[in-house]
Amino acid sequence: MKRATMILIALALVSLFAAPVFAQSANLKASLAIDTKVLKSADGQLLLAPSTDNRKVPARPASPDALPETNPLHWYDMEWAGWNVTPMNIPQSPADGAIGKKIIMIVHGDHPWTTACILGGKKVADLYKMSFKALSPNWDKDKQDQLIDQAINEKPDMILLIPLDAKGAVQQARKINQAGIPLHMFNTLPDAAALNYSLGWTGPDDFGQFRLLARAWADELQKKNPGSAPIGVAYVQHAPGGSPYFARSFGPISELATYAPRIKTLEKASPTPATFDANTTMQLVSDWLTKYGKDLKGICASDDSAQSLGIFQALEKAGRTDVVVVAAGNSKQGMDLVKDGKLFGITYQTAEGDGGLAVSYAADWFNGKKMPLRQNLAQHIITKADVAGFYPPQW
Amino acid sequence: MRKMEKSRLLAFSDKYRIYLLFVAVFAVMSLFAPRFFALQNMTSILNAIAMNATVAIGFTVVMICGQLDLSIGAVITFAGVLTMGLEPLLGFPGAIAVAIAGGAFVGLLNGLLVAKAKINSFIVTLGTMTILQGSIYQFSGGNSIGITTPQAFAISDFLGVSLIPLVTPRILIAILLVVAVELFLRRSRAGRNFYLVGGNKNTAWFAGINTDRYQIAAFVISGVTAAVGGICSVLVSTAATLKLGENSLMYVISATIIGGTAMSGGKGGVLRSVIAIFTLEMLYTGIILFGLGNEVKIFFAGLILAYVVLYEAYATYKHDKSLGQRPELMKEIKKRRTASGGA
Repeated sequence: MKRATMILIALALVSLFAAPVFAQSANLKASLAIDTKVLKSADGQLLLAPSTDNRKVPARPASPDALPETNPLHWYDMEWAGWNVTPMNIPQSPADGAIGKKIIMIVHGDHPWTTACILGGKKVADLYKMSFKALSPNWDKDKQDQLIDQAINEKPDMILLIPLDAKGAVQQARKINQAGIPLHMFNTLPDAAALNYSLGWTGPDDFGQFRLLARAWADELQKKNPGSAPIGVAYVQHAPGGSPYFARSFGPISELATYAPRIKTLEKASPTPATFDANTTMQLVSDWLTKYGKDLKGICASDDSAQSLGIFQALEKAGRTDVVVVAAGNSKQGMDLVKDGKLFGITYQTAEGDGGLAVSYAADWFNGKKMPLRQNLAQHIITKADVAGFYPPQW
Repeated sequence: MRKMEKSRLLAFSDKYRIYLLFVAVFAVMSLFAPRFFALQNMTSILNAIAMNATVAIGFTVVMICGQLDLSIGAVITFAGVLTMGLEPLLGFPGAIAVAIAGGAFVGLLNGLLVAKAKINSFIVTLGTMTILQGSIYQFSGGNSIGITTPQAFAISDFLGVSLIPLVTPRILIAILLVVAVELFLRRSRAGRNFYLVGGNKNTAWFAGINTDRYQIAAFVISGVTAAVGGICSVLVSTAATLKLGENSLMYVISATIIGGTAMSGGKGGVLRSVIAIFTLEMLYTGIILFGLGNEVKIFFAGLILAYVVLYEAYATYKHDKSLGQRPELMKEIKKRRTASGGA
């Protein structure tokens, strides 16, 4: 009798300690069984399309800053940030499954793109039954710092962050890391030092996309302007501070320096006071058209909605239809402009895919998979030939 | 009797409205917003307001003088960029000293143009704001400036560590500045003269006050506090972004008005402005904790500002209407008329 009681107590104790282990294992098994290929974005494309970028990471020059800005390697620390980092104090994956995990996504600001990005993240989070919360600082870096503090206070299983400022991201990442919370950064590239504290980075390879776009743009410009005379172009830049400011102007400038040396940069500027505003962009471009007249043959914009609308307003006022315009993003306005034959090409920047990939990265990490330090979104240039396949637009 | 009590209550609520609003917001958020009444959250709110609270000190002094300083946001960024940009050359102490001197110089320039050249402060500070923004872009090459040395991280960690619950060195700097300037304005003759200059410049001049000197001093204080706010902010984040002070201008103006400082000058206080900033930040944080979006936050900020502006307009209208009137005399006349049969 006494022996039987002892056996029963032992069995109870074993089951008490073993139950969580079995539950963990069951959770992991169920999480691993989830297939994200069932998810699609609003434009009918796969939410998580595989990356098509096969470029080799070049060796870092001794001093990239010493190289001229037209040399692609001058931008090495931005373009290849994340490939060669020294991880610091990076937490180990619990490898107990993504289901039931709590993640907080801190974006950069309110914008239709951001809404689509959050939606993409939520689609993946819902599939994995993760608790998902999105916070927006509305383009205020100080507010983003405060939201990071709040997120840390909530002790989530992971924080996903779109850094508002490349340099400012270093201390943000360090703070989250010191709090012992896994961090994953996405969308805009932070300074390379910030990635030391992050599990990894996912998002659009802005430099890569714009090198691709620059080549297509150059081909069209040279087709329209045969001969050997210089072809003048201008760049409407992104808001200063973040990686798109450099990637979307110096990316093509450094690419064209070797690919199409005939193409000369006449101007590059960010519209002020409002960067993404049709009126301020129209004013900026009108000034360029007055200054350079027919010498201005092409314009590259950092945004395919407000900036592009402003560019075409200025071109219409000046009676110009010969200027080849390309832009970043695939908003409804941008795709409509491509469909109408106004914009020559835009980069495929899936907003939903961006948010979705970040959450999918988190889920894979919770599932114990070995994750790459950097994972790019699929690259593609949308032109009139294939724009129909990207409707309805994501934002 | 009841009417008298009511008017006293109204006067009390008018005088202390920002403190009452503060208590109301604090109570509502503590009761209903999840995790609001937590030590970490309150510390996070205090850290978040430290920069704008510091900036509001000088801005309020300028407004008490009856002027406006639109350059505060640009000075914040300017000082931040100078601190980070000059650190490799001068080290942190040298760079901070230059940044504070830079803020004081901008204030001095604003003050001289307003007081001596008699140009409207709105125009002057709009001009310096634009010039500074251009200079910042020139100096930084359009990029943020970050420092990732162990010393920069050590300073950042020090400014963020809690000395006692709720108080970090960054918050302590703001508190000390608020207390010092508030005491100076309330308890010293020189401080009270700022109110006199803002309330009625001519009267102040007749009283023998050098009004130009006070106006210039107000702008210098504003330049210095804006610079200190910017410096502390970049030291904490180890990076100076080019948009650092962009949102501060509207925020500080709103808070100063909500705090009860009159745009016409002569009325208000530094502590009131800082309490208003604290109240707004609690409201914003609460809204986020409720899971609501920025649109709700903007709506409430607008609602509060609209209420305060309308109330100010009504109070000014009432005050103007009662100018020169003697209510006791009117009451006496009415009484006599009634006694003599309404003739």
